[in-house]
Amino acid sequence: MVTYDDGSPHPAPASFLGRYVFSTEHKTIGLQYLWLALASVLVGMVLSTLLRVHSSWPDTSIPFLSNIQNTPERFAAIRLLHGSLMVFFVLTAAPQLGFGNFLLPLQIGASEMAFPTLNLLSFWMTVASLGGMTASFFYPPETGINVWLASASIFCLAALLSALNFTVTTIDLRAEGMTLPRLPVTVWAWFLNAILSMLIFSVLLAGCVSLLSDRLLGSQFFSFASFLAAQPQNLVRQGSLPILWQRLFWYFAQAEVYVAMLPCFGIVTHLLATFSRKPVWKERLVVLALCGVGLLGFCVWGYHMFATGMNPYAPLVFSVLASSLGVPAAFLLASWLGTLWEARLQLSCAMLFSIGFISLFIAGGLSGIFLARHDLRSAAVSEDFVIGHFHLVMGVAATFAILAALFFWFPKLFGSRLNEPLGKIHFWATFAGVYLIFMPMHWLGLLTQSQLLPDASRAALASAGASIRTLVTLATICTVGAQLLFVLNFLQALFRRSPAQESNPWRATTLEWSVPSPAPRNNFSAGKPTIYRGAYEFRPAEANDFAPQHLAPELLSQQPS
Amino acid sequence: MPGSTATHDIELIIEKKPSNGGGGDLPPVDRDGGGDDGKRPRRSKPSPKRYYTGMALGIVSILMFFMALASAFLVRRGSGDWIPVHIPSLMWINTIVLLASSTTLEMARHRLANGQLRSYRNLWLVTTVLGLLFLVGQVAAWRMLAAQGIYLASNPASSFFYIFTGAHALHLLGGVAALLYVARRNFDQAQVTRTVAAEVTSHYWHFMDALWLFLLAVLYLGK
Repeated sequence: MVTYDDGSPHPAPASFLGRYVFSTEHKTIGLQYLWLALASVLVGMVLSTLLRVHSSWPDTSIPFLSNIQNTPERFAAIRLLHGSLMVFFVLTAAPQLGFGNFLLPLQIGASEMAFPTLNLLSFWMTVASLGGMTASFFYPPETGINVWLASASIFCLAALLSALNFTVTTIDLRAEGMTLPRLPVTVWAWFLNAILSMLIFSVLLAGCVSLLSDRLLGSQFFSFASFLAAQPQNLVRQGSLPILWQRLFWYFAQAEVYVAMLPCFGIVTHLLATFSRKPVWKERLVVLALCGVGLLGFCVWGYHMFATGMNPYAPLVFSVLASSLGVPAAFLLASWLGTLWEARLQLSCAMLFSIGFISLFIAGGLSGIFLARHDLRSAAVSEDFVIGHFHLVMGVAATFAILAALFFWFPKLFGSRLNEPLGKIHFWATFAGVYLIFMPMHWLGLLTQSQLLPDASRAALASAGASIRTLVTLATICTVGAQLLFVLNFLQALFRRSPAQESNPWRATTLEWSVPSPAPRNNFSAGKPTIYRGAYEFRPAEANDFAPQHLAPELLSQQPS
Repeated sequence: MPGSTATHDIELIIEKKPSNGGGGDLPPVDRDGGGDDGKRPRRSKPSPKRYYTGMALGIVSILMFFMALASAFLVRRGSGDWIPVHIPSLMWINTIVLLASSTTLEMARHRLANGQLRSYRNLWLVTTVLGLLFLVGQVAAWRMLAAQGIYLASNPASSFFYIFTGAHALHLLGGVAALLYVARRNFDQAQVTRTVAAEVTSHYWHFMDALWLFLLAVLYLGK
């Protein structure tokens, strides 16, 4: 339990177990989270293809699944597995736990996280939860949901421990001169997200534990029969229990969006500044906006959690809160565009993916406005619209941020660079692909409300719906196929590691680029760094257009350009 | 813009430390006691600040867990199948035991600060025993309820009663483990001093104490 950072060099453990399984080193753990996310995203994509194929051509027999019963429950189980893998182990794990663990100590000038042993524990709990959620797919639904709930509880605990670690590290382990205003926006995002996670996941844990106790021990926290009778009409409009459970789950999903997006906002802001060679436009406002996203995210969700049961005006207030999220989001957007404005852009793959993120964020955010209006929500759209919306704004946008981060930090992570031309082909294929999948889905959502229309138009709409579905499925197959380009690029870069890598290939300012690539075992072997300036001091007018945070002012003029 | 940052940097140097021209070798002030600069002894103890911060944040997190349950309790209370649970009188005695344990813990901490190690050990032991006594008392109270036919699954009120007291007992068990750990640990080689370990543990313990009073109030007033 007593973990410490005594400053003495970590001896490199010799055995495989010591080096990988029981390593408390933040960089190893960060990479392990990234591997976990990579495995989950690949499986998750295959599952989504299966789902699409099944909904377009229901009669196709799929070899892997032919021995699992072909029932609606199994279809739902595949959806659950796809969602859990993507949400928990990709969107939550990669930007926060993967990149955060690897980079946070490096960016603030610490040699370790505050509690390395806790970090190790939380990683293996995450692995256990991944195992449990995958296993739940193979159980019959009744047992499966118990296993799933237990795994979700373990994930919550792991997320809590990580969040604690991130917060303490950021508060207490910053290097000399790393004042709060000088923190990179990425660190701010990880820090704020950790605080948000600490509040949200403890409540979710309470929910999971009570539900599990209901199912296993027969307690009556969620036994709704009489509870429903006492509720206002709007909550129980459909009058059945699954609706209430569905709502409970969406409450969590609502908060989860912010947990997944906050670190992505940080990453994108960081990358845009670096590749625009300009300071972040209105950096303080960006940090405030991030605080705002966190705070509002917590309110929207806390509101659901605490008040919907009692308040007949709940949907209205929810709608106002959800719409007001547009305010910090608009600030962020303004800052990104302000940073890009009149900049000499360097369109590397990392930059392309960051700009792609902005595009997806705008597109997905616009349909979110419709969904936040509670009166529109039930009247105008069906499930497909919602699926299209949150995949664009949460799933795909966050994935673009993750990919951008991977292209950017790959040298620091592995000591080599991903191939840029191949990366650009991959970017354009994916960018076109995701729009081709999710934009028609919005459309599909609107079309399926055709009972509002006169009979004559309905027949035409139905056939249009069928062809749109096929289009979406074909686009999915192509886009998933295009990811092979990325896997190829990744493996190639991994196996062609050159020993002599320049430490700062992107001419970036933050602290992680002051150490060799890949980052050495003890982070800062030359002694703890001292920080002299803010994180984004790019000077477009000068020949040497950037000032690293760690470089003393008198050394700045001698800096090799 | 570049001009302004330059002045900013100069101000910073004046205010922080004189420059010796070799910025890279500036001995940094040890914020977290890392002692990475090679001039300090290798096994210097890190600054204990992180343990206090960690405990404070952990307490917030645990509080959120119980607040979620408490709010669920308040919402659920309105339903028709709610049969209030009468708090067993033993629990009031348990409460006094727990309050007493907080007092002895505070006395122990005081003795430790004054260097009265022997007296500290005794009081620490008394605290541990009182904590265990509270847990035994809670189990006895559950058995009393069970004897009246009130189980976890009986009705929503009893479900909440058991999860409140049960989750608190589990957290307190962690506290007892921490007390035992601090008592048994040899601090000569450790990275934390005995004082830090004792203080962080006592923060947790006092929080458990206050949390119990809160839960008891919710159960009593909300039945």
